[in-house]
Amino acid sequence: MSADAVPAREATASKDSGLSDAEVRQGAMEGTLIAVGEAGYREASVRAILEHSGGHRAQFYKHFESKEDCFAQAYAAWADRLCVDLLEAAASAPGWEAGVRAALIELFRFVAGRPAIARALFVEVQIAGEPALSRHEAAAERAAAALDSARAEIEPEREPPEATGIFVVGGIESCICEALTAGDPARVWDTLPELMHLAAGSYFGKEAAEAAFEEASALLHRDRAELTGAAR
Amino acid sequence: MTRLRLVASTATGPNLAELGPVAPERLPPGRHGLPAHLVRTHQRQRLLEAAATALSEQGYGRLTAARVTELAGVSSRTFYQHFEDLWACLLAAYETEAALLCAHLENACGAFPEGDRPARARAGIGAAIDFLANEPAVARLLSAEPPPQVTALAAARRDLAKRLGTRLRAVLEPGGATPLPGLERRLIGAAMALVAARAASGDPQRLRELEPELSELLLASL
Repeated sequence: MSADAVPAREATASKDSGLSDAEVRQGAMEGTLIAVGEAGYREASVRAILEHSGGHRAQFYKHFESKEDCFAQAYAAWADRLCVDLLEAAASAPGWEAGVRAALIELFRFVAGRPAIARALFVEVQIAGEPALSRHEAAAERAAAALDSARAEIEPEREPPEATGIFVVGGIESCICEALTAGDPARVWDTLPELMHLAAGSYFGKEAAEAAFEEASALLHRDRAELTGAAR
Repeated sequence: MTRLRLVASTATGPNLAELGPVAPERLPPGRHGLPAHLVRTHQRQRLLEAAATALSEQGYGRLTAARVTELAGVSSRTFYQHFEDLWACLLAAYETEAALLCAHLENACGAFPEGDRPARARAGIGAAIDFLANEPAVARLLSAEPPPQVTALAAARRDLAKRLGTRLRAVLEPGGATPLPGLERRLIGAAMALVAARAASGDPQRLRELEPELSELLLASL
């Protein structure tokens, strides 16, 4: 995902920099996520954000009330875009299990390719709290709802608990946080089989979990270079 | 603020139970006849509780030592006599509560025979959820991801996850082996994220409702 993938809300030209308002706004949002991802939410200042985005303080405050406001807006835009990318990846694969695997591969490419932004979206949002945290919860609910499409294949008497989707999303997020905080984002690739085991097992039980694990392990063994080499 | 826990005596400090029944607020000013070491222990305990409460109010992003001292009813000077900084206080609170959670869980598992592994697992999960639902601020403290820059606190959370994972594995598999090495880490990671989301809602009932679902989810794929 690139910065210009985030949809613009405004397109009028800024007199100060020659950049359109939309460009200034998008630049500040991406700069905020990078600054937060690199320095941590508590430490990232508006000054540090402007070092990444290249604008002026006045331009920043024309669009945002504060760092908190900018982070929450940036979070919503980027999380929404990431959700769309993951759902598209899942929809392009045949069946639930292949869809989950495709979405995880897309997610891992994002994490390995944009680690600072991933760190802001997955780790630092927990530090930032509201209002960004509510947007994180909304994105997690959306992903959980997509995982819950598995229920269509399960007999009513074997339905898994209501919290299953959020449980699996939490497991995926905890893996990503672990790799990012260890400073080794590429490590997420190693967790693909385990996460497929967690997802399939939570919905379909032990046998499905083992089969999903084996399939993901074989895929990683066979195509790892191709999968990871596509990281942006 | 969370209730005052009269924790068991440790090698490094006196037992607060020596004070008898005490209110969870600051001691009365002036002469109260209490030995200095007990006053000091009482202050420390209030600071640990205040740290959890302040975190649940402000989150890691806005948390300040000033709010912790205000909630504990101690001066800033007293705070720094006990702790080097805010993070040292949070770490002490984390380690204290993590030890209590693990002890609570162990006791519950121990009430069932070794051979009855599903019952032991469910009892442990139930006890952990009960502990957390009784203290939502503590649930938030133990489950939420701390700032990774505060490495000691992040390590304490990893250590708790590891201990819970080891316990889960031991209960499920007598030999300590799961079908998949590392799976228990994923399961505990998922469970902690779920608890964190429910704890952030501030509604203890939502945490309590997790118990049967969490038992089923933790045991489903093993």
